[in-house]
Amino acid sequence: MAEKRGEKKKTTKEILKAKSVRRKRTPLYHPAVLKTLRQEFELWRNSSVRSEDREKWLVTPHTVLGSEIPRQMIYTPLDDPDLDYMQDLGFSGQEPFTRGIHANLYRGREFTMRQLTGFGGPEETNQRMKFMLAHGGTGINVLFDLPTIQMYDSDHPFSKGQVGMSGVAVDSVEDMELVFKDIPLDKVSVSLVTHYPSNTAILFPMYLALAERRGIPWSKLQGSVQNDITLEEVVRSGPEYIPPKDCFRIQCDNIEFIRQNVPLWNFITLNGYNLREFGTSGVTEMAVALANAIETIEEMLQRGHDADWVAERMAFFWSPASDFFEEVARLRAVRRLWYKIMKHRFHAKSPRSMWMRCHAQTSGVSLRREEPLNNIIRASLHALASVLGGVQSLHVDSFDEAYSVPTEDAALLSLRTQQIIQTETGMTEVVDPLGGSFYVEALTNDIERRILDEVDEIEKIGGYVTAIERGWLHHKIAEYFTRERGNIEKGQIKIVGYNVHPSSMELPPIHVFRYPEGVEEKQRARLARLREKRDPERINSALKALEEVCRKRKNIMHYTVQCARAGCTEGELFEVFKKAFGLWKPPVLW
Amino acid sequence: MHIRIKVILSKLGLDVHNRGLITVAKELRDAGMEVVYIGNSFPREIIATAIQEGVDVVGVSSLGGAHLTLGRELMEAAKREGLQEHMVFIMGGVFPPGDAEKLREIGFDGVFMPGATREEIISSIRKIASEKMNKSF
Repeated sequence: MAEKRGEKKKTTKEILKAKSVRRKRTPLYHPAVLKTLRQEFELWRNSSVRSEDREKWLVTPHTVLGSEIPRQMIYTPLDDPDLDYMQDLGFSGQEPFTRGIHANLYRGREFTMRQLTGFGGPEETNQRMKFMLAHGGTGINVLFDLPTIQMYDSDHPFSKGQVGMSGVAVDSVEDMELVFKDIPLDKVSVSLVTHYPSNTAILFPMYLALAERRGIPWSKLQGSVQNDITLEEVVRSGPEYIPPKDCFRIQCDNIEFIRQNVPLWNFITLNGYNLREFGTSGVTEMAVALANAIETIEEMLQRGHDADWVAERMAFFWSPASDFFEEVARLRAVRRLWYKIMKHRFHAKSPRSMWMRCHAQTSGVSLRREEPLNNIIRASLHALASVLGGVQSLHVDSFDEAYSVPTEDAALLSLRTQQIIQTETGMTEVVDPLGGSFYVEALTNDIERRILDEVDEIEKIGGYVTAIERGWLHHKIAEYFTRERGNIEKGQIKIVGYNVHPSSMELPPIHVFRYPEGVEEKQRARLARLREKRDPERINSALKALEEVCRKRKNIMHYTVQCARAGCTEGELFEVFKKAFGLWKPPVLW
Repeated sequence: MHIRIKVILSKLGLDVHNRGLITVAKELRDAGMEVVYIGNSFPREIIATAIQEGVDVVGVSSLGGAHLTLGRELMEAAKREGLQEHMVFIMGGVFPPGDAEKLREIGFDGVFMPGATREEIISSIRKIASEKMNKSF
C-alpha cells in the first residue's frame, strides 16, 4: 500500500484556506447598506424583542441525530455580510454547485425512486422488485440477507436460522440469475447494497457473470455498489473482520477494476447513511465520507490514475433526519465543499468530478415503535428535506420498520410518498427553492465550516484508515449514541408519542411482514446441487489464483470475476480473504 | 445483602446492528453489574461461554429477524445444560407484535423492544433475577 501523505503535506483545510485568501471577493451587499441595516437591527432588537428572547437569542435544537448547532431567532443579511453571489452560490449546474449539480435539476430528470427490496430467497425478492417497478418505481435497490452481507454461505453453520432475513440470500451466480429474472439489466439502473468492499469484490462479479450469460456487454450496465470500508470496519457487528488496510485496498481494487471495465457503474457509494444511523451527527456523517473520498483519490493517484477519472463516478449516500433546515443546508454545504476539494486539492478539470451526486434514505433510527403511523409523517419530512436539498435519488423508509421488514402495502406507501412529492406539490419545478434564505445560507456556511473542521481532525490523525485502525471513529460514535440515549431519556430530545404526549390509547393491530417459510432449506438444496455440478478443478484453481493475488500488489477483482464465472460461492471467497489477510479485532466500544 | 449480577451480552448470530447492545452494556455496567460482552456469537457458543463465566443473566440482541429461530435454539441449548431454572434469559431487539409473547413461551424471562428505557431494563433484570434465583440483587 502506498505511503500516506507525508508530514509536511498540507491538510485539505489548509489548502482551501490558502486558496480562499488569494481569491478576490465581490460582496453582494454594499457596506453602507449593511451599516444602516446593523443600526436598524439593533434598534429593532432593543425595542421590539422581549428581553427573554434577547437573552436567549441562540437556541440549540435537540433532535434525533442532530448536530446541536445553535440557531438565532431570526436571520438577516448581517449573518452573511460578505456574501459573494457568484463565488458562494452561483447558478445551478455551475460552480460551486451549491444550488444543485444540474442547471434544471428535477425539471431535467426526476429524482430516481429507488426503494430497497430484499427478503427471503431470490424468487421472492424478484417478485417484490417487479411489484415496485410495476407501481412506478424507477430504480432497483437490492438488499442482501445477513449471511450474504457477512459473507457466509447459506449452508454455513453461522447462517443457520438467518437465511433470507433482512435481505435476499445470494450464494453464487445462480442466485443472482434468479434475483434478476426478467429484469432487463441493460435498461434498469440497479443498486446492489453490497455494503463492504469485501463482499462487493465477491458479489458484483456474480452480477457481471450474469450479464455475460445474458449476452449483455458490461458497458451497458448502469447502477451502483456500496463498497465502503466504513461499513465493513466501523458500522458493523460481525464475527470476523479483515484488517482495515486490506479492506481499503480491496475498496480501491474494486474502484479501479470497475472504472476500467464497467464504465457507467458507480463503483463506490461513500457512505454517510449507515454511519449516521449507527449514531452520529449530520456533520460527522459528511466529514467521514469526505475523508474516505480524499484518501481514496490519493490512493488512486499513487496507483497512477487521474483524479478526474476516479471522481467522475463517485457517489454519496446520506441520511436525512429530523432537523429540517439543517438537512437542507448540509446537502448544499457538502455540495460546495466537495466542489472545493476536487477543484483546489485535486485540481479536477471535469465538472462531473466536482458534482456531489447523492442518494438519500430517510432516517430509520428516527422511526418509533410507539404509534407507528406517526412514522409516515417523519419519513415524509425527511424526504421533503432531501428533495429541497437536491438529491439525485431517494428511498423512503416504511412506517412499520420498527417491527420488521416492510409489508408490500407499507413499501408501496413509501413509493407513493415520493410520487406525491414529485407530482402533486409543484415542488420540483424550481431549483434550490430555499437558496437565498438568510437562514439557510447562514446555516449552509456554518455546516460547511464544521464539516471541514472534522475532515481536518481526521487528516491530522493520519488519515481515514488510520482513524479507523486506532478506533478513533468507533469511539466517537459510541460516545455520540450514548449521549443521545441519555438526552432522549432526560426528555431533552423530544419524541412525540414516546416522551412527549404519550398516549395510552389502544391502537389498532398492525399487520406486519412475516418472512416466507422454507427459504433456508431451498437455498441449501440449491447450493448442494451447485457444489455437485461444478468442476472442482476449475473452482480450486480460481480460488488458489485469488489467494496468490491477495498477497501481491495486483488488483484482485480480475480474479474474483474468474471465481464468479466458475461458480464459486461467496463463502469460499471470504475464506480466501481471511487466509490471505488474517483477522482484525475492532476496538471495544463500551 | 446485595450480590453483584453478572451478565453476558451477545449479538445473536450474524445480526449487524450493535448500537442497542453496546448502549445496554454500558448502562448495566454503570448500574453496577458485571458485564461480559462477547460480540456476535451463536446459541451453543453463548451457552458454553455463559457456563464458563458463571453468569446470572444471559442477554441477547436481535434486530435482523432471527429472534425466533435462534432464540429457540438458544433456549434448547440452555435446557440441555439444565440452565433454565437458575439463569435469567433476556432478549432485546426489533420484533413483530406478538413475538414478545412467543419469546416468553420459548423460555425468555424478559423481552425488551425499541423504546425500553434504561430504568426499565435495569430494574426488570434485577427483579427477574431476584425472583428466579431467590437472591436479593
